[in-house]
Amino acid sequence: MTKDMNNTDIQIAICGSAGDGTIASGDIMKRAAALMGYNVIAFDLYPPEIRGFGKCISRIRISSEQTYSLKRESDIFISLNDNHAIPHVGEVRDYGAVVFEDSLIARVPEGRHISAHIKPAQVPYAFSIRQISEQATNSARSRNIVVLGFIAGLYDMPARVFHRVIAAKFATKPQIVIDDNTKAFDAGMRAGGAVFKLDDVAVGKPRDYSNGSDAVMMTGNEAIVRGFLEAGIGSYFGYPITPATSIMERLAVEIPRRGGQFLQTEDEIAAIAATIGAAYAGSRAATATSGPGLALMSEMLGLGVMAEVPLVVVVSQRGGPSTGLPTKTEQSDLNLAVYGGSGDARRIVLAPTNVEGCYRCAGMAFEIAETYQTPVILLIDLYLSNRYETVIPSEENTFAPKPRLRPEIAKGDIYKRFELTYNHISPRALPGEEGLMHTITGLEHNEQGRPNDAIHSVMSIKRHEKLNSATRFPGLTVCKRFGDEGPVDVGILGWGSTFGEILETMFEAQAEGIRCSAMKVVMLSPLPMDEIVAFFDDCREILVPELNYEGQFANLISGAVGRPVTRLSHVTGSPMVIAEILAEVRRLAGSATPKQKALGS
Amino acid sequence: MNRPLKPVYLEEKLEEIRSDGHQDYRSKSLPTWCPGCGYFSVAEGFTFALNRLGIDYKDVVVVSGIGCASRFPFFVSTYGFHTLHGRTLPVATGIKLANDALTVVAVGGDGDAFAIGGGHIPHAARRNINLTYIVFDNGIYGLTKGQTSPTSALGFRTSTTPYENGDEPLHPLMMLLSYRASWVGQAYAGRPHHLADMIATAMNHRGFSYLHVLSPCVTFDKTDRTYANLGMQVRDLPDDHDSGNLMGAMAEASHDDAPALGVFYKEDRPTLDEVMDATNKRSTAG
Repeated sequence: MTKDMNNTDIQIAICGSAGDGTIASGDIMKRAAALMGYNVIAFDLYPPEIRGFGKCISRIRISSEQTYSLKRESDIFISLNDNHAIPHVGEVRDYGAVVFEDSLIARVPEGRHISAHIKPAQVPYAFSIRQISEQATNSARSRNIVVLGFIAGLYDMPARVFHRVIAAKFATKPQIVIDDNTKAFDAGMRAGGAVFKLDDVAVGKPRDYSNGSDAVMMTGNEAIVRGFLEAGIGSYFGYPITPATSIMERLAVEIPRRGGQFLQTEDEIAAIAATIGAAYAGSRAATATSGPGLALMSEMLGLGVMAEVPLVVVVSQRGGPSTGLPTKTEQSDLNLAVYGGSGDARRIVLAPTNVEGCYRCAGMAFEIAETYQTPVILLIDLYLSNRYETVIPSEENTFAPKPRLRPEIAKGDIYKRFELTYNHISPRALPGEEGLMHTITGLEHNEQGRPNDAIHSVMSIKRHEKLNSATRFPGLTVCKRFGDEGPVDVGILGWGSTFGEILETMFEAQAEGIRCSAMKVVMLSPLPMDEIVAFFDDCREILVPELNYEGQFANLISGAVGRPVTRLSHVTGSPMVIAEILAEVRRLAGSATPKQKALGS
Repeated sequence: MNRPLKPVYLEEKLEEIRSDGHQDYRSKSLPTWCPGCGYFSVAEGFTFALNRLGIDYKDVVVVSGIGCASRFPFFVSTYGFHTLHGRTLPVATGIKLANDALTVVAVGGDGDAFAIGGGHIPHAARRNINLTYIVFDNGIYGLTKGQTSPTSALGFRTSTTPYENGDEPLHPLMMLLSYRASWVGQAYAGRPHHLADMIATAMNHRGFSYLHVLSPCVTFDKTDRTYANLGMQVRDLPDDHDSGNLMGAMAEASHDDAPALGVFYKEDRPTLDEVMDATNKRSTAG
């Protein structure tokens, strides 16, 4: 493929040990790239321990076009710690750059230095990172900033943007910290500018935002907070758990400023219980947790369904079961989110696929919950919670509350909180309203809310059928098809964070001449069946890649549609690998006869 | 013996009861409790208290968990939320914080409060959320037909302790005092007028008020916590009891054999919504 010199698409990986400043360096890189106007996708890998010598990798993809995931291969790889970096040298593309410390070569044993592992087609950039750092700041601690300067020099990026980001990042520190980091950056940049460059090591023009709006770089969790705030969140109750904690920490700052209620509760059960209480009293209330917390909340979710209380629960999945892999990603709480709890408890589950989706789903979640008077779960995972993407926020706030459906009863009439209506949705009174006193309960109840077993079948229909129109909720993308139209050989069906890798794979497969489509399903409950069935009809083979062992989404879809699918599970704790999906797409495209593989085999 | 000279006619008596207004707080649903249950006294005392305090029904939310006592919200004509087993206090906390104009009363039994819900009580108490928590303690699980509870006496026989209960019972009042509940009191279902007084006093308190109500289960406990036994055991708090003295309250609460009735402890300190208002002010300052 010929390189378009005006078109930028580079991926930088920085690898080091905890304490090397790897993540901080990556953070400055991605913020500078976003400031320069590029599209950014970034994801950091770090060890669960706060202190220690675990491996940290920061990966940043910088492009002038919209992209959907990190690339299969990095263009530049920087080692701040050879021990950690050696196993990752292979992820650098041919003619890609490997940047490392040269002064160690004489001191480490044979084979322990990264230079022994660089492939012939990769371009080594050895320089004296430590020495330059010490000369610039009298300390080896600024090595992470020196390498940043080196990249900026290599790619001829504007220094002033980095200076600005460095000043902002260390704004709360003494001036000397900013000065030292700036010096280290400049010294690194001089080194990077002086070395030999390959032709395609250059940056092109930034992304074209033709609508004139400003892109903002944020993580999935930050996008959820932004959506919540624009939607007028009133109350948040939570309990810290990785990877959802950063939502809570941000709201701890923002909700008090808006005069709302923020409380760290004693456990997840209390968090969702208080959320239900506040929602019942009329507040836009939410909580956020991960899989283990959702397990504790499941009983209360059932109460929310039974008593028809609108509330929003964010679930950011991590590796499981049990305490599992707290700092690694996985998509294995789908079953719990869609089905968890006792009884027939249908709820709404939204699984955005990117950071912008997090923002939009969070912004609309309260309105959806209020419309259907039921819990709404936003199901994401660590990869989406923590990955950075550039997002174009709404010009005007479209998430502000709309008027609530209020009961109107004649004086003297008895208010029926759970009145049977044509669309199964009953006008909701809030405590404090005159003449509408009623009691709600987790017991099966009649229209007035009084305990009643005999009406169970009628009320079960009400609670299930009222959600039917949710798949057509105005302004909400519940599913979307990409790629080739009409009949195709392979359809890739995906959900959540994995869909970025699925789209990138689809583009690669199309480039190879495979007729291929991809569909994302955002609303996992209730399922948009018409669109899904139409997709099945169009695809000779359906491939479902996801980050869990059992194929939970494949089971859900396959069970709902009644047709077999091919599963692709990936449970390493890392995001889905494009090469794995592509290999499976090639295999399926090549198979002449439709698969007759039995479910679960 | 003084016999009444004038006969009392039922209609007149009912009219007298209706006319004071407290019956308006009772819903049209008849209580599901067994005849003679101590919980009738609590329901009656609650309606008297609301009437005396002049609180509008629409501004009251009664929150409960699961159990005989937790059926309470269905029997009063206020707003009500019959939640899950043990989760009364966190739900009530959410309601009160979202709308502090509401009068929130949490109710539940001894199992709901101290077995499954025990983890929430210290936090509601230390945060001093401005609501009243009434625990109806009959020392048994009634709704599931008579199993042992965390406040059942040693040696008590139930269907789940057929060879006698060997677990030391909890001391709810001492627990609540050490959790720093800002109002702690005890009443007895067999003294309904005092009980009504105590409910009104508890609801009048600014902050977290905990009222412990000793109440017999006439169906599943024929031997231990009966009207006959409790009537003999209960006593008033001494006249010179200082309700501002935490250690003194603790000492009074430690008498297992002679439970005292009255206000053990009260303290004036900022409530959760006041603390939250102050936090909100700090967040916008500077």
